[in-house]
Amino acid sequence: MAACREGGALSLGHGGSVNPRGRPILPPARAAAPRICPAASQQKVYTSAYRLPSRMTTTIQSGAGVSRYLRLYRVLSQTLAEGRIGAGQALPSEPCLMRDYGVSRSTVRRALARLEAEGRIDRQRGRGTFARGRGGPSAASRDLSAILDDAQGGPRGAAWRIIAWQRVPTPAFLCGEHPAFGAGALLLRRIRSVEREPIVLETAYIPEEIGAALTRRQLASDAGALLRSLAASGHRASILEREFAALEADPRVAGSLGIAVGSPVLNVRTLARDARQGIVAYVSCLYRADRYEAHAAIAIGRPERARAGRRG
Amino acid sequence: MALVRRSPRHPAAMEPATALATRRLDKGVARYYRLYELLSAALDDGTLPPQGAMPSEPELCVRHRLSRTTVRRALERLEREGRIIRRRGSGTYAAPRRTTPRFCLDLDALPAALGTLQAHTTATTLRFERGAVPAALAALAPGLGASAYRLERLRRVQGEPLSLTTTWLAQPTGPRPARHIQRETSVVTLLAAPTAAVRCSIGTVAADADAAGALEVPLGAPLLRVRAVLRDGAGNPRAVLESLCRSDRLRLKLTERARC
Repeated sequence: MAACREGGALSLGHGGSVNPRGRPILPPARAAAPRICPAASQQKVYTSAYRLPSRMTTTIQSGAGVSRYLRLYRVLSQTLAEGRIGAGQALPSEPCLMRDYGVSRSTVRRALARLEAEGRIDRQRGRGTFARGRGGPSAASRDLSAILDDAQGGPRGAAWRIIAWQRVPTPAFLCGEHPAFGAGALLLRRIRSVEREPIVLETAYIPEEIGAALTRRQLASDAGALLRSLAASGHRASILEREFAALEADPRVAGSLGIAVGSPVLNVRTLARDARQGIVAYVSCLYRADRYEAHAAIAIGRPERARAGRRG
Repeated sequence: MALVRRSPRHPAAMEPATALATRRLDKGVARYYRLYELLSAALDDGTLPPQGAMPSEPELCVRHRLSRTTVRRALERLEREGRIIRRRGSGTYAAPRRTTPRFCLDLDALPAALGTLQAHTTATTLRFERGAVPAALAALAPGLGASAYRLERLRRVQGEPLSLTTTWLAQPTGPRPARHIQRETSVVTLLAAPTAAVRCSIGTVAADADAAGALEVPLGAPLLRVRAVLRDGAGNPRAVLESLCRSDRLRLKLTERARC
């Protein structure tokens, strides 16, 4: 590893001029092909020395089980998806990537090859690697929050597919945290797609007696928001306790959402209670990270009026 | 070890027989790691309850069509991480529930919640400089201006990294703004008086090199990303911030009261 890193620096001919504690290779909006990667340390007013020169190597190695090229691919892929390297702009050069991430040339090439195979970058011999232009806002950077959070109507092009509908004993973690849940539950697992692209995997546990009022057909329809269906059957949720977590997609989740194993997903766990504090449902949603963000507005200083709502 | 006859105790962890067959999406991920992820998820969500018995090695081999070596590697990693306990002659068990400090931040009780956060964590200022606001954040708060004070901080709980927060402040307040900001532990309290509303979005990103190094996670590991715009009473943006949080150490909660 050390040899690779040295090799990268030598082939660039930087010698000691490269700042090993410099910024990483993907600063926002880099316009031209960067020959010298970590720059702009002159304007710093204050910088503590938490960055060790060998950090890339150590961090990549600690993620055993997922190959280096895939981790690098994921980071580059995200940079492109978010538009931090816009269409036509240059990606850092291979030696830059080698040095900054402490990986070998073949690892860098594998990551770039995968992006190229997906048609997201152009590699031009003798010139460099460039982000591929797309007409209009790219599909990858589209935030679908507004569509998914729209509880009122079924958005066009969105559909639910039920993959599990069964009575199960209440899982241990629910019993443990919320003894009031009851012994039995209806397990409902669905995938929601927007324009044929799976966006969210929803797993819901509904107390048996409340779940009895639901019908499968109702929940498979476009407008089948669970809480709305529950409200229609007389169990209106008035308090939603949400908790957010960042997870890696395990093989089953990855398969359901059509993303690579280990890709980041946003987990929103909601405990819905009715006005009398009774539990109406426990819903755990896994969203594709590149398609969804939760939004909240919070008022400060007026706690009695503080209210949060998810909006697009 | 003979093939012991056991009832399938953990249907969810065992569900699809061919779940781990190589597919296009799995390229670059070790086979053992896929099993590790599955079991890890089952342990996390309680499908495999704490102190309960884990499926046996032969069971896992058959269910997921994996070799004994692969299954062992996955179990060894879980054991190394203290998630399971292997008892010779008895079997493998899920470890008792972990009591690692997980910090809970309740977004509804913001000033108070941040106060608690400050009391139990330490923040190190990594950078403080004047700089351009990145386009993605500038779009959230158009009134902030193109240039602002950028403050980058790493927050730790019991010495372990918790979050990496970068804040762009429109106008430092007080007689000695720079020092004042560096000393103050929370941006919301820094702007306490004039801050009236926070609008935030919560998403997930893969850790880039910078975040991975600071938060001590592998490159590409999932992090919670909170982006927030802080506004004063008149609705003018005072600051915009982006915080990358380790989800295993921080619980982010939000209670919503449904509008009737």
